[in-house]
Amino acid sequence: MDATVKKIIIEVKKGNQQAFAELVELYKDKVFQVAYRMLGNVHEAQDISQEAFLRAYTNIESYDINRKFSTWIFRIATNLAIDRIRKKKPDFHLEDQVAGTEDLDYYSQIPGDDELPEDVVVQHEMQEWIQDEIMMLPPKYRSAIILKYMEDLSLKEIGEVLNLPVATVKTRIHRGREALRKRLRD
Amino acid sequence: MACNKEKHQLIHKYMDEDITLLEKKELEAHLVKCDICHGHLRELRKTVAIIQSASHIEAPADFTAQVMAGLPKETQKNKWKTWVRRHPLIITAATFFLVFILSISSIWNDGDGEITVAGEGQFYVDQERGVVVVPEGETISGDLLVRNGNIEVEGEVLGSITVINGEQYLASAGHVAGEIEEINRVFDWLWYRTKAFFADVMSFMNSSDE
Repeated sequence: MDATVKKIIIEVKKGNQQAFAELVELYKDKVFQVAYRMLGNVHEAQDISQEAFLRAYTNIESYDINRKFSTWIFRIATNLAIDRIRKKKPDFHLEDQVAGTEDLDYYSQIPGDDELPEDVVVQHEMQEWIQDEIMMLPPKYRSAIILKYMEDLSLKEIGEVLNLPVATVKTRIHRGREALRKRLRD
Repeated sequence: MACNKEKHQLIHKYMDEDITLLEKKELEAHLVKCDICHGHLRELRKTVAIIQSASHIEAPADFTAQVMAGLPKETQKNKWKTWVRRHPLIITAATFFLVFILSISSIWNDGDGEITVAGEGQFYVDQERGVVVVPEGETISGDLLVRNGNIEVEGEVLGSITVINGEQYLASAGHVAGEIEEINRVFDWLWYRTKAFFADVMSFMNSSDE
Protein backbone atom coordinates (compact mmCIF):
# COMPACT_ATOMS: atom_id res chain seq x y z
CA MET A 1 0.00 0.00 0.00
CA ASP A 2 0.93 3.60 -0.49
CA ALA A 3 3.58 4.57 2.10
CA THR A 4 1.88 7.91 2.82
CA VAL A 5 -1.44 6.22 3.59
CA LYS A 6 0.35 3.72 5.82
CA LYS A 7 2.00 6.53 7.77
CA ILE A 8 -1.32 8.32 8.21
CA ILE A 9 -3.01 5.15 9.44
CA ILE A 10 -0.24 4.48 11.98
CA GLU A 11 -0.90 7.98 13.32
CA VAL A 12 -4.65 7.30 13.45
CA LYS A 13 -4.00 4.08 15.36
CA LYS A 14 -2.09 6.12 17.94
CA GLY A 15 -5.23 8.21 18.40
CA ASN A 16 -4.32 11.23 16.26
CA GLN A 17 -7.61 12.70 15.00
CA GLN A 18 -5.94 15.18 12.68
CA ALA A 19 -4.40 12.27 10.78
CA PHE A 20 -7.86 10.76 10.44
CA ALA A 21 -9.09 13.96 8.76
CA GLU A 22 -6.35 13.48 6.14
CA LEU A 23 -7.50 9.91 5.60
CA VAL A 24 -11.11 11.05 5.11
CA GLU A 25 -9.93 13.66 2.56
CA LEU A 26 -8.15 10.94 0.57
CA TYR A 27 -11.03 8.47 0.40
CA LYS A 28 -14.22 10.54 0.79
CA ASP A 29 -15.00 10.78 -2.94
CA LYS A 30 -14.56 7.06 -3.60
CA VAL A 31 -16.65 6.09 -0.60
CA PHE A 32 -19.31 8.67 -1.33
CA GLN A 33 -19.51 7.52 -4.93
CA VAL A 34 -20.05 3.87 -3.96
CA ALA A 35 -22.69 4.88 -1.41
CA TYR A 36 -24.44 7.16 -3.90
CA ARG A 37 -24.47 4.55 -6.67
CA MET A 38 -25.78 1.91 -4.30
CA LEU A 39 -28.51 4.08 -2.78
CA GLY A 40 -29.36 6.48 -5.58
CA ASN A 41 -29.66 9.61 -3.51
CA VAL A 42 -27.27 12.19 -2.13
CA HIS A 43 -28.79 12.47 1.32
CA GLU A 44 -28.59 8.78 2.11
CA ALA A 45 -25.20 8.50 0.45
CA GLN A 46 -23.84 11.17 2.78
CA ASP A 47 -25.39 9.46 5.76
CA ILE A 48 -23.95 6.06 4.89
CA SER A 49 -20.49 7.24 3.87
CA GLN A 50 -20.11 9.33 7.05
CA GLU A 51 -21.20 6.35 9.08
CA ALA A 52 -18.64 4.21 7.21
CA PHE A 53 -15.83 6.59 8.20
CA LEU A 54 -17.03 6.72 11.80
CA ARG A 55 -16.95 2.94 11.96
CA ALA A 56 -13.53 2.88 10.36
CA TYR A 57 -12.32 5.26 13.06
CA THR A 58 -13.74 3.31 15.98
CA ASN A 59 -12.53 -0.02 14.57
CA ILE A 60 -9.15 1.15 13.30
CA GLU A 61 -7.44 -1.22 15.75
CA SER A 62 -8.81 -4.21 13.85
CA TYR A 63 -7.59 -2.90 10.49
CA ASP A 64 -4.61 -4.80 9.10
CA ILE A 65 -2.10 -2.21 7.91
CA ASN A 66 -0.78 -4.53 5.19
CA ARG A 67 -4.07 -4.62 3.33
CA LYS A 68 -5.47 -1.92 1.12
CA PHE A 69 -7.38 0.71 3.07
CA SER A 70 -9.76 1.28 0.14
CA THR A 71 -10.83 -2.38 0.24
CA TRP A 72 -11.56 -2.14 3.95
CA ILE A 73 -13.53 1.12 3.82
CA PHE A 74 -15.46 -0.08 0.73
CA ARG A 75 -16.40 -3.18 2.63
CA ILE A 76 -17.78 -1.17 5.52
CA ALA A 77 -19.59 1.20 3.15
CA THR A 78 -21.17 -1.51 0.96
CA ASN A 79 -22.33 -3.46 4.02
CA LEU A 80 -23.95 -0.34 5.45
CA ALA A 81 -25.52 0.49 2.08
CA ILE A 82 -26.96 -3.01 1.67
CA ASP A 83 -28.38 -2.86 5.20
CA ARG A 84 -29.96 0.47 4.37
CA ILE A 85 -31.49 -0.89 1.14
CA ARG A 86 -33.03 -3.79 3.09
CA LYS A 87 -34.69 -1.42 5.54
CA LYS A 88 -35.50 1.08 2.88
CA LYS A 89 -38.20 3.59 3.61
CA PRO A 90 -39.97 5.59 0.92
CA ASP A 91 -37.43 6.79 -1.61
CA PHE A 92 -36.41 10.20 -2.61
CA HIS A 93 -34.54 10.99 -5.76
CA LEU A 94 -32.07 13.45 -7.14
CA GLU A 95 -34.81 15.11 -9.14
CA ASP A 96 -36.91 15.68 -6.02
CA GLN A 97 -37.02 19.23 -4.83
CA VAL A 98 -34.95 20.12 -1.83
CA ALA A 99 -37.37 20.85 0.99
CA GLY A 100 -38.19 24.55 1.34
CA THR A 101 -36.74 25.57 -2.01
CA GLU A 102 -38.03 26.19 -5.48
CA ASP A 103 -36.33 24.89 -8.62
CA LEU A 104 -33.53 23.42 -6.60
CA ASP A 105 -33.25 19.70 -6.96
CA TYR A 106 -30.44 17.55 -5.64
CA TYR A 107 -28.58 17.63 -8.95
CA SER A 108 -27.91 21.29 -8.35
CA GLN A 109 -26.14 20.27 -5.16
CA ILE A 110 -23.69 17.99 -6.95
CA PRO A 111 -20.66 20.01 -7.93
CA GLY A 112 -20.02 19.87 -11.66
CA ASP A 113 -17.98 21.53 -14.37
CA ASP A 114 -19.19 24.78 -15.82
CA GLU A 115 -20.97 23.83 -18.99
CA LEU A 116 -23.57 25.40 -21.25
CA PRO A 117 -27.06 25.08 -19.80
CA GLU A 118 -28.36 22.81 -22.62
CA ASP A 119 -25.40 20.53 -22.19
CA VAL A 120 -26.07 20.44 -18.48
CA VAL A 121 -29.64 19.35 -19.07
CA VAL A 122 -28.66 16.59 -21.49
CA GLN A 123 -25.87 15.54 -19.18
CA HIS A 124 -28.30 15.42 -16.25
CA GLU A 125 -30.79 13.33 -18.17
CA MET A 126 -28.09 10.92 -19.27
CA GLN A 127 -26.66 10.63 -15.77
CA GLU A 128 -30.08 10.22 -14.25
CA TRP A 129 -30.89 7.48 -16.71
CA ILE A 130 -27.68 5.58 -15.93
CA GLN A 131 -28.33 5.81 -12.20
CA ASP A 132 -31.94 4.66 -12.69
CA GLU A 133 -30.69 1.64 -14.61
CA ILE A 134 -28.21 0.80 -11.87
CA MET A 135 -30.95 1.13 -9.28
CA MET A 136 -33.01 -1.45 -11.21
CA LEU A 137 -30.35 -4.08 -10.51
CA PRO A 138 -30.76 -6.33 -7.48
CA PRO A 139 -28.37 -5.00 -4.76
CA LYS A 140 -26.00 -7.95 -4.95
CA TYR A 141 -25.38 -7.41 -8.68
CA ARG A 142 -25.42 -3.64 -8.19
CA SER A 143 -22.51 -3.67 -5.75
CA ALA A 144 -20.39 -5.88 -8.01
CA ILE A 145 -21.08 -3.74 -11.11
CA ILE A 146 -20.36 -0.47 -9.26
CA LEU A 147 -17.06 -1.72 -7.85
CA LYS A 148 -16.02 -3.12 -11.22
CA TYR A 149 -17.02 -0.35 -13.62
CA MET A 150 -17.14 2.77 -11.46
CA GLU A 151 -14.33 2.14 -9.00
CA ASP A 152 -12.23 0.03 -11.39
CA LEU A 153 -11.50 -2.67 -8.84
CA SER A 154 -10.10 -6.03 -9.92
CA LEU A 155 -12.23 -9.16 -9.53
CA LYS A 156 -10.01 -10.24 -6.63
CA GLU A 157 -10.44 -6.89 -4.85
CA ILE A 158 -14.20 -7.04 -5.36
CA GLY A 159 -14.11 -10.50 -3.78
CA GLU A 160 -12.33 -9.02 -0.76
CA VAL A 161 -14.76 -6.12 -0.46
CA LEU A 162 -17.86 -8.29 -0.73
CA ASN A 163 -16.33 -11.24 1.13
CA LEU A 164 -17.06 -13.58 -1.76
CA PRO A 165 -14.98 -16.05 -3.79
CA VAL A 166 -13.82 -14.65 -7.13
CA ALA A 167 -16.01 -17.20 -8.99
CA THR A 168 -19.11 -15.75 -7.30
CA VAL A 169 -18.00 -12.22 -8.13
CA LYS A 170 -17.71 -13.23 -11.79
CA THR A 171 -21.19 -14.71 -11.81
CA ARG A 172 -22.65 -11.56 -10.24
CA ILE A 173 -20.91 -9.33 -12.76
CA HIS A 174 -22.06 -11.54 -15.67
CA ARG A 175 -25.65 -11.46 -14.46
CA GLY A 176 -25.54 -7.76 -13.70
CA ARG A 177 -24.14 -7.04 -17.13
CA GLU A 178 -26.79 -9.20 -18.79
CA ALA A 179 -29.58 -7.51 -16.86
CA LEU A 180 -28.31 -4.06 -17.87
CA ARG A 181 -27.84 -5.12 -21.47
CA LYS A 182 -31.41 -6.36 -21.76
CA ARG A 183 -32.76 -3.09 -20.41
CA LEU A 184 -30.45 -0.78 -22.31
CA ARG A 185 -31.25 -2.57 -25.57
CA ASP A 186 -34.86 -1.45 -25.38
CA MET B 1 -30.58 -17.35 -27.98
CA ALA B 2 -29.64 -19.89 -30.57
CA CYS B 3 -26.11 -20.50 -29.35
CA ASN B 4 -25.33 -22.71 -26.42
CA LYS B 5 -24.50 -21.69 -22.90
CA GLU B 6 -20.85 -22.41 -23.45
CA LYS B 7 -20.53 -19.63 -26.03
CA HIS B 8 -22.43 -17.32 -23.72
CA GLN B 9 -19.90 -18.02 -20.95
CA LEU B 10 -17.03 -17.41 -23.36
CA ILE B 11 -18.38 -13.98 -24.21
CA HIS B 12 -18.38 -13.00 -20.53
CA LYS B 13 -14.93 -14.44 -20.01
CA TYR B 14 -13.85 -12.37 -22.97
CA MET B 15 -15.41 -9.27 -21.40
CA ASP B 16 -13.54 -9.94 -18.14
CA GLU B 17 -10.27 -10.49 -20.02
CA ASP B 18 -10.25 -13.80 -18.27
CA ILE B 19 -10.05 -15.94 -21.39
CA THR B 20 -7.32 -18.36 -22.56
CA LEU B 21 -5.74 -17.93 -25.97
CA LEU B 22 -7.36 -21.12 -27.19
CA GLU B 23 -10.81 -20.04 -25.99
CA LYS B 24 -10.30 -16.64 -27.56
CA LYS B 25 -9.50 -18.21 -30.95
CA GLU B 26 -12.58 -20.43 -30.64
CA LEU B 27 -14.83 -17.48 -29.80
CA GLU B 28 -13.46 -15.28 -32.56
CA ALA B 29 -14.00 -18.06 -35.11
CA HIS B 30 -17.57 -18.43 -33.84
CA LEU B 31 -18.32 -14.69 -33.90
CA VAL B 32 -17.48 -14.51 -37.59
CA LYS B 33 -20.19 -17.05 -38.33
CA CYS B 34 -22.77 -16.11 -35.68
CA ASP B 35 -24.52 -12.73 -35.89
CA ILE B 36 -26.49 -13.35 -32.70
CA CYS B 37 -23.40 -13.87 -30.57
CA HIS B 38 -21.64 -11.00 -32.31
CA GLY B 39 -24.57 -8.72 -31.56
CA HIS B 40 -24.63 -9.94 -27.99
CA LEU B 41 -20.98 -9.03 -27.47
CA ARG B 42 -21.52 -5.63 -29.08
CA GLU B 43 -24.45 -4.89 -26.78
CA LEU B 44 -22.48 -5.91 -23.71
CA ARG B 45 -19.62 -3.64 -24.70
CA LYS B 46 -22.02 -0.77 -25.22
CA THR B 47 -23.61 -1.44 -21.84
CA VAL B 48 -20.23 -1.28 -20.14
CA ALA B 49 -19.33 1.90 -22.01
CA ILE B 50 -22.54 3.56 -20.83
CA ILE B 51 -21.98 2.56 -17.20
CA GLN B 52 -18.41 3.79 -17.38
CA SER B 53 -19.57 7.12 -18.82
CA ALA B 54 -21.31 7.87 -15.53
CA SER B 55 -19.66 10.94 -14.11
CA HIS B 56 -17.60 10.69 -11.00
CA ILE B 57 -19.54 11.78 -7.98
CA GLU B 58 -17.74 13.90 -5.41
CA ALA B 59 -18.48 14.08 -1.72
CA PRO B 60 -20.07 17.35 -0.51
CA ALA B 61 -17.62 20.12 0.38
CA ASP B 62 -18.15 19.92 4.14
CA PHE B 63 -17.93 16.13 4.20
CA THR B 64 -14.69 15.83 6.17
CA ALA B 65 -15.76 18.47 8.69
CA GLN B 66 -19.02 16.57 9.23
CA VAL B 67 -17.20 13.30 9.80
CA MET B 68 -14.76 14.91 12.22
CA ALA B 69 -17.61 16.53 14.15
CA GLY B 70 -19.15 13.09 14.61
CA LEU B 71 -16.04 11.44 16.02
CA PRO B 72 -15.84 10.60 19.70
CA LYS B 73 -13.97 13.35 21.56
CA GLU B 74 -10.26 12.87 21.65
CA THR B 75 -9.25 12.10 25.23
CA GLN B 76 -7.08 14.60 27.08
CA LYS B 77 -4.39 11.93 27.33
CA ASN B 78 -4.35 11.40 23.58
CA LYS B 79 -4.26 15.13 22.89
CA TRP B 80 -1.26 15.41 25.15
CA LYS B 81 0.38 12.39 23.49
CA THR B 82 -0.20 13.90 20.07
CA TRP B 83 1.21 17.23 21.17
CA VAL B 84 4.27 15.57 22.67
CA ARG B 85 4.89 13.64 19.46
CA ARG B 86 4.63 16.80 17.43
CA HIS B 87 7.09 18.77 19.54
CA PRO B 88 9.97 16.39 20.29
CA LEU B 89 12.51 19.22 20.63
CA ILE B 90 10.58 21.07 23.30
CA ILE B 91 10.16 17.86 25.26
CA THR B 92 13.85 17.03 24.97
CA ALA B 93 14.84 20.51 26.09
CA ALA B 94 12.37 20.42 28.98
CA THR B 95 13.66 17.04 30.10
CA PHE B 96 17.25 18.21 30.05
CA PHE B 97 16.36 21.35 31.94
CA LEU B 98 14.53 19.35 34.59
CA VAL B 99 17.45 16.96 35.05
CA PHE B 100 19.82 19.93 35.26
CA ILE B 101 17.73 21.70 37.90
CA LEU B 102 17.33 18.53 39.92
CA SER B 103 21.03 17.75 39.93
CA ILE B 104 21.95 21.33 40.81
CA SER B 105 19.42 21.57 43.62
CA SER B 106 20.50 18.23 45.02
CA ILE B 107 24.10 19.40 45.12
CA TRP B 108 23.08 22.77 46.56
CA ASN B 109 21.06 21.14 49.33
CA ASP B 110 23.74 18.58 49.95
CA GLY B 111 25.00 18.10 53.46
CA ASP B 112 22.14 19.91 55.23
CA GLY B 113 24.31 22.76 56.40
CA GLU B 114 27.17 20.48 57.41
CA ILE B 115 30.45 22.20 56.89
CA THR B 116 32.70 20.48 54.39
CA VAL B 117 36.17 21.30 53.17
CA ALA B 118 38.02 20.04 50.14
CA GLY B 119 41.73 20.63 49.98
CA GLU B 120 44.98 19.42 51.41
CA GLY B 121 47.02 20.89 54.18
CA GLN B 122 47.05 21.78 57.84
CA PHE B 123 43.78 23.35 58.83
CA TYR B 124 41.10 22.53 61.33
CA VAL B 125 37.37 22.80 61.35
CA ASP B 126 35.66 24.53 64.22
CA GLN B 127 32.23 22.88 64.02
CA GLU B 128 30.71 25.01 66.79
CA ARG B 129 31.39 28.29 65.05
CA GLY B 130 31.12 26.80 61.59
CA VAL B 131 34.54 28.04 60.63
CA VAL B 132 37.45 26.46 58.83
CA VAL B 133 40.64 27.86 60.25
CA VAL B 134 43.99 27.94 58.57
CA PRO B 135 46.19 28.53 61.62
CA GLU B 136 48.97 31.04 61.80
CA GLY B 137 52.26 29.74 60.46
CA GLU B 138 50.64 27.01 58.33
CA THR B 139 50.96 26.96 54.56
CA ILE B 140 48.43 25.30 52.27
CA SER B 141 49.94 24.59 48.91
CA GLY B 142 46.75 23.80 46.93
CA ASP B 143 43.23 25.18 46.54
CA LEU B 144 40.60 25.15 49.24
CA LEU B 145 36.87 24.65 48.80
CA VAL B 146 34.66 25.35 51.79
CA ARG B 147 30.97 24.63 51.75
CA ASN B 148 28.37 25.77 54.30
CA GLY B 149 30.84 27.58 56.43
CA ASN B 150 33.21 30.48 56.81
CA ILE B 151 36.94 30.42 56.50
CA GLU B 152 39.52 32.28 58.50
CA VAL B 153 42.96 32.49 57.04
CA GLU B 154 45.66 33.32 59.55
CA GLY B 155 48.36 31.38 57.76
CA GLU B 156 49.16 31.21 54.08
CA VAL B 157 47.25 29.71 51.14
CA LEU B 158 49.16 29.42 47.89
CA GLY B 159 46.13 28.37 45.81
CA SER B 160 42.66 29.89 45.49
CA ILE B 161 39.84 29.79 47.99
CA THR B 162 36.21 29.19 47.11
CA VAL B 163 33.56 29.64 49.76
CA ILE B 164 30.13 28.35 49.06
CA ASN B 165 27.34 29.53 51.32
CA GLY B 166 29.72 31.25 53.63
CA GLU B 167 32.19 34.06 54.05
CA GLN B 168 35.91 34.34 54.09
CA TYR B 169 37.84 36.22 56.64
CA LEU B 170 41.41 37.07 55.98
CA ALA B 171 43.44 37.88 59.08
CA SER B 172 45.97 40.66 58.77
CA ALA B 173 48.73 38.15 59.14
CA GLY B 174 47.17 35.72 56.66
CA HIS B 175 47.96 35.56 53.00
CA VAL B 176 46.22 34.06 49.97
CA ALA B 177 48.18 33.86 46.76
CA GLY B 178 45.27 32.88 44.49
CA GLU B 179 41.76 34.23 44.11
CA ILE B 180 39.08 34.26 46.73
CA GLU B 181 35.57 33.61 45.64
CA GLU B 182 32.36 33.62 47.65
CA ILE B 183 29.25 31.98 46.32
CA ASN B 184 26.18 32.71 48.35
CA ARG B 185 23.19 32.66 46.09
CA VAL B 186 21.70 29.98 43.89
CA PHE B 187 22.43 31.95 40.74
CA ASP B 188 26.03 32.45 41.73
CA TRP B 189 26.12 28.77 42.42
CA LEU B 190 24.58 27.94 39.05
CA TRP B 191 27.08 30.15 37.34
CA TYR B 192 29.88 28.50 39.20
CA ARG B 193 28.60 25.00 38.29
CA THR B 194 28.22 25.93 34.66
CA LYS B 195 31.73 27.35 34.53
CA ALA B 196 33.05 24.25 36.27
CA PHE B 197 31.15 22.03 33.87
CA PHE B 198 32.56 23.79 30.81
CA ALA B 199 36.03 23.81 32.32
CA ASP B 200 35.70 20.03 32.75
CA VAL B 201 34.48 19.61 29.20
CA MET B 202 37.31 21.78 27.87
CA SER B 203 39.96 19.91 29.79
CA PHE B 204 38.42 16.63 28.68
CA MET B 205 38.49 17.79 25.07
CA ASN B 206 42.01 19.04 25.40
CA SER B 207 43.17 15.79 26.92
CA SER B 208 41.47 13.80 24.19
CA ASP B 209 43.19 15.97 21.60
CA GLU B 210 46.53 15.06 22.92
